[in-house]
Amino acid sequence: MNGVKKVSFPSFTHYNYAFKYFMENGVGARYIMPPQMTLRTLDRGTKASPDYVCTPFKTTLGSMMDCLEAGADTIFMSMGLCRLGYYGELQEQILRDMGYQFDFVNLSEYSTGKRRDYIKALKRLNPRMSVAKMMLVLAETVKLVEQLDEAEAMYYKNCGFEKVKGSCKTAIKRYHTAVETATTGRELEAAYKKFKKEFNEIELDKPENPLKVGVVGEFLTAQDAFSNLDVEQKLADMGVEVYRYLNATSRMFHYKGKNLQVETSEYCKYDMGPTSTINIWAAKNYASHSFDGIVHIKSAGCTPEIDIMPVLHNISEDYKIPVLYLTYDSQTSDTGLATRLEAFYDMISMRKKVL
Amino acid sequence: MQKNKGAEPVKKKITIGIPRAMLYYRYEVLWKNFFSILGADCVISEPTNKEIIKSGTAAAIDEACLCTKIYLGHVKSLIGKCDYILIPRISNFGIKRNMCTKFEALYDIACNTFRKTSQKFLTYNVDVIEDCPEENAFINMGIELGFSKKEALNAYKEAKKGESESLKNHLKANEGLYKKNGLKILIVAHSYVAMDSYIGKPVTDFLKKLGTVPIMADVVDRKDALKRSAKVSPTLKWELSRELVGSIDEHIDKIDGMVLMSAFPCGPDSMVDEMIIRKFRGKPILNITLDDQDGTAGLETRLESFVDILRFKGGTL
Repeated sequence: MNGVKKVSFPSFTHYNYAFKYFMENGVGARYIMPPQMTLRTLDRGTKASPDYVCTPFKTTLGSMMDCLEAGADTIFMSMGLCRLGYYGELQEQILRDMGYQFDFVNLSEYSTGKRRDYIKALKRLNPRMSVAKMMLVLAETVKLVEQLDEAEAMYYKNCGFEKVKGSCKTAIKRYHTAVETATTGRELEAAYKKFKKEFNEIELDKPENPLKVGVVGEFLTAQDAFSNLDVEQKLADMGVEVYRYLNATSRMFHYKGKNLQVETSEYCKYDMGPTSTINIWAAKNYASHSFDGIVHIKSAGCTPEIDIMPVLHNISEDYKIPVLYLTYDSQTSDTGLATRLEAFYDMISMRKKVL
Repeated sequence: MQKNKGAEPVKKKITIGIPRAMLYYRYEVLWKNFFSILGADCVISEPTNKEIIKSGTAAAIDEACLCTKIYLGHVKSLIGKCDYILIPRISNFGIKRNMCTKFEALYDIACNTFRKTSQKFLTYNVDVIEDCPEENAFINMGIELGFSKKEALNAYKEAKKGESESLKNHLKANEGLYKKNGLKILIVAHSYVAMDSYIGKPVTDFLKKLGTVPIMADVVDRKDALKRSAKVSPTLKWELSRELVGSIDEHIDKIDGMVLMSAFPCGPDSMVDEMIIRKFRGKPILNITLDDQDGTAGLETRLESFVDILRFKGGTL
C-alpha cells in the first residue's frame, strides 16, 4: 500500500498508546499494537539473548517477536544513552539470524543530532508523510505523554485507598481505551478531562498522614509494570502512596539535568549516567520531604543504576530513610518480591508509629 | 579543594596516587609525563593481588562489574599514601565515541564510597559533546593543583607528545607479532582486563606457555580502527569496543583464532561480544568471562582444548 508500513515498537507501559497515536495520525503508518507481554515473551527473549545483557534487552527482543507474529512488518527501535543505544542493531542481527523477515528502523542510526535525520527515519515508515502534519501531531503526542504520566501518578497515589475495590483501575482503563481509539487532539483532551473528573469523584478512605514511598530506578524496569512484576501496585495495595518522579515527561520533555545537578552537587560532581541525576535528585527530594521509604528498581547488570547505589546509601544514611533495592532478572519470582515488600512495609509502618 | 598560593619558592612536592586499574593501562604514559613535567610525584598502586580484590569487593556494590571492584580496591590501597588520588571522568570523545557509563560515574562512585576518609581526589572531565575536550580538562586540572594555565598547557602538550611516541613504538612492536610463526591468537579484551596481573595476565601467560602467540587486539591504529568499526557495526558507540572491533576487522586474516575475554558482568562486552561472534564467522572464537574465583584449572582446560582445536584445524596436531 504505497510503501506504508505496519509498524510496531516493543511494548513499553502506557507509552504504547502514544506511539500508536503518533504513528497513525502523524506519520500515517499503520500501527500494530504490541501484544501484552507474558512469560512467553520473556522466555523467548531470554533464550535468544546473550547471557548477561540487561533484562530490558530480553523483554524488548521478546516483544519484537510478539509484534512480528501479530502482523507487523516493520520494527521501530529507539536510541538511548546507555546500552539501550546498541539494543537495536544487535536485536536486528539476532532476529535476522533466526530467520524473521522485516524492516527495521533504528533511531540510533539516525541520531546525529540533526532534526532532518529523524525525519528521514520516519519517512521510511511512510514515504509520503507530511512533515508539517507530523510536527503538529508530535506536539499533541508530547501532550498526550504528559497526560498519561499525570494520570498514572494520580493513580498510584490514590489507588491504595479506594473505598470500592477496583474503581481506580476501572477509571484509568477506561481512559486508556479512550486514548487508544482517539484520532484527534480534541478527543485526547476530552478523554483526559473526563478521566480527571471521574477519578476525582472516586471515594477514598485515606488517613491524614499516609505512608509515602518514592520510587527511583532504571527507566524501563521502574516504569513498566510487567517488567517490575507490578511492584507499584503491590505497594499501593498495602495502603501506601506511591510516587515516582521518573517518567518520560520528566526525563525527556521537562528535563534539564544541569539544573537538577545544583541540588545534587553535595553528592556528586558530575552527571553519572543517563538516569542518574534525575534519580539522585528524586531520592534526595523524597528524603527531604519526609517520605517513609525509597524503592530502587533496576534490572540485573544495569550499570548506571548500580553506579548510583553508593550515592543512595549515603542519602539513606544522611536522611535516615530506608531504601529497598530490587534487582530484576528473567527469573525473579512474584512470591519472593511479595515477601520482601511485606517486610519493607512492616518496617516502614513500624518506624512511622515509633517516630 | 584548596588551591596552592602562587609559585612559592619552597613548595612541597605534591604526590598523586594513580590506581593501577581501568584506564591506567591506556593513559599510563600521559599521566606520568604530565605530572612529572609539572614536578609532582606519582605513586602507583601495586599490581592487582588477592588482597586488593578482596578489599575492593567489600567496598563496592556487589552487583558491580569485577573491574569496578578491582578499581576500588586499588583506590583503597592508595588512601593516606598521597595528596590526591587521580580518578578521571571521561564521558565521550564526540558523537558515537562514548565511554562506558562507568567512566562517567567512577569519580563520584569513589567519592561516595570513601567519603568518610579525608582523602582528596583529583579529577579531570572529558566530555566533548558538552564542549570539554581533553586539553581543557588537563588545563583545569593543572590549575586546580596550583599551576598556571601556561604551565599546565605546556605540560599537557609535552606529555601528549610522549604518549603518541610510546603508542607508535608499542604499535610497531605489536604489528610485528602478526608476522611471527606459530599459532596467533587475538586477545579481544579491554586493556584493563587483559593486562591486569590477577585476572587477564594469567590467561595470556598460559597461552604463551602452550607455545602460541597471543596478540592484544587493543593495540591498533585507533583512527583506522574507528573507521573500520563503523562499517562492521554502524551504531556501536563505545570507543574502546570500537577499537577492538576495528582491530579484528583489520587483522582477521592474519590470525588463527580469537579469545574474547571480559570481566563479569561487563555492560558493553555483554552485547559487543555477541555481535562479534555473529559478524565474524570462520575463525574459532573462545568466549571467556572472568570473575574473582581463584581456581584456574577450569580455565586452563578450556584454553588447552581451544589451542588443540586450532592445531587440529591447522593440521599440526
